[in-house]
Amino acid sequence: MNERKVAKLVMTLALLVPAPRGLAAQLVSKVEAGQYSVSDGVLPLSAIRFAPTIQFELPRATFMARGAALLSDQQLQLADGIVSGTFTSPTVYGVRAEMIGNASRALDDRSLGTDQVDVQTRVHVLFHQHGGLWFGGGVARPWRVAVISSADVTDAGLWAKVGNAAAKFGGATMTATFTNFSFNKIASVHDTGSASLSCASIPSTMSSTSGGIRALFSEVSSGGACERQSRFGDLEGTLHWEWSTVELTAQTGYRFGDSYDVTADSRRWSSATATIWLTDRVAFVGGGGRQPALPLRGLPSRTFGMAGLELAFLPISKGAVPVSLPHAILVKSFEVRPGATGTQKIVIHVGGVETVDVMGDFSDWSPLTLVRRGRDLWELSVPVSPGMHRINVRVDGGPWMAPPGLPTVHGGYGGDVGLMIVGEDRSGH
Amino acid sequence: MIRLAFMTRPGRHRRLVSTVFVSVMTIVAAGPSGAQEPDPLIKLDANSKFAVELILDSAKVEKLPTQPLMSRALEGIAKKADGKKIVDAVRKELGYLRTARSVLGGVPDDELTAAAGVIEVGAKPAQLAAFRTRHKDRNDLAAFTYWADLITRGVPPEDASSAIAKLWQDGADDATFYSLWKSVNSDILQGLNPGAALQNRIRESPGRAPTSKTPPEGPQEPKSL
Repeated sequence: MNERKVAKLVMTLALLVPAPRGLAAQLVSKVEAGQYSVSDGVLPLSAIRFAPTIQFELPRATFMARGAALLSDQQLQLADGIVSGTFTSPTVYGVRAEMIGNASRALDDRSLGTDQVDVQTRVHVLFHQHGGLWFGGGVARPWRVAVISSADVTDAGLWAKVGNAAAKFGGATMTATFTNFSFNKIASVHDTGSASLSCASIPSTMSSTSGGIRALFSEVSSGGACERQSRFGDLEGTLHWEWSTVELTAQTGYRFGDSYDVTADSRRWSSATATIWLTDRVAFVGGGGRQPALPLRGLPSRTFGMAGLELAFLPISKGAVPVSLPHAILVKSFEVRPGATGTQKIVIHVGGVETVDVMGDFSDWSPLTLVRRGRDLWELSVPVSPGMHRINVRVDGGPWMAPPGLPTVHGGYGGDVGLMIVGEDRSGH
Repeated sequence: MIRLAFMTRPGRHRRLVSTVFVSVMTIVAAGPSGAQEPDPLIKLDANSKFAVELILDSAKVEKLPTQPLMSRALEGIAKKADGKKIVDAVRKELGYLRTARSVLGGVPDDELTAAAGVIEVGAKPAQLAAFRTRHKDRNDLAAFTYWADLITRGVPPEDASSAIAKLWQDGADDATFYSLWKSVNSDILQGLNPGAALQNRIRESPGRAPTSKTPPEGPQEPKSL
């Protein structure tokens, strides 16, 4: 088939692909701005940090782009950027599969950066909706760091949840993870005691690098460095507690590995962050602690402190913890407000959940996913004709239920439905 | 701008490109409008689908609204209900609509659907008779909706029916019905017997909506400044 035929075929096929009907996509974003202090000897000691994030969500996929910039001495310096895609399967018998792909760049001074592409798959298993585990594996490929091969990454984790944000003492989620990294890196010939040193296989493609490994590359140039098989594992525990408008997250970890792969300042670490929601869309964020070195990114360990504001809200990462909660008590309020011509804005307050859907006769009983607009604020504008409509709501894919604050009747299919009255020029109740 | 090589050649190639372009655009333009809408009942098994379609046809013949019937079927499909259960629900809905129509006569579809909902939860058709008289600029949607809810929450159907009918006849507006429903609902949630909750609240409820501009008769207390 010649070039013309191929071009025609491609054009025709491309035009014939139907646009997805009723695509339930949503766009969310947030901006963090605040004072950030760090002591790693590379980044500025103190700077104002901006970290905008934008996320595009589909029912089974999420695409995210995030960046961070530091303003120090009246100069804006990019710190890092990442684009990410996550695909999740439906949950079947409590099991859900997930595939995550990331491409990122981290800059630890004004001109040099390191890049990484990684792909990971995970399998999540839920137990009684209050706990679960996951395991997975993947490959990360860094560039312009001392790591000169792809890194094999395997991880496994456990999580458990007690209470919820609306309970008397709030709700807590405890997570324990173990992540193992295995890769080849450049090591100095002066390193001894390692059985896996090979001094004959240094690639010639290394061009530039950054941070504390410049010396090694000098050694490479002079034939004084070797390739070394490295391996280390991170055991990490996280406690996240939510109560009313306060969220606390504390994290601690320990890195396993021999002294050639794990520097003393990265053996143990801990950090804590507090988020206090001032309104649905604005929160004060403060925290500090120690972060371990990230060899795959060429980043040294660092001690940091930060205080700032977070504007808007980003949904809970679907890959983080597959939280599935008891549903009935969580929906705090439901409102319908007049929107643009012919539409009504459905407003729901419910905290600590990943997704909120509604369906009713106005959607031909097809689920519509609401967009998260604040800490516990979910909204959706949808065409609804004046009159009485039957409506159901659900959170995190749980059972359908009648929204609170609406008249209800038994639905006839097990469960109640809400009755929503939409006036000609006013909202329902 | 990207230009493919064959686009730059004169003569028949241009005609070929034009033909392909026009054909593709025709297909694309015809696609959305000419495409058949997917059958919403496709997920039903063949027997249930046939039964639901028969019920819809019956409704059309009787000039009853088909939207609530289709909605009931789609709700069942969305909630993964058994086909027989869906057919049963749609058939019952048709019955409620027929009954409501026989009592109320020609009312708008949404009011007929709401009235059918009241019959569905246990009100007697005769209790709808109070709503047969039409009031200009008044809509009985709210009355029917809160009436159905009160019965669903355990208020005896007779009590709920007589209370709602009385308010309607007294000229109560939507806000009055909403206020009554909210108060009764609140009392029920606090543990009060549903019937008693309604009786208590109906005594407090204004007999007539405050629409009259005529000052009340009798002595009035002077306003303090």
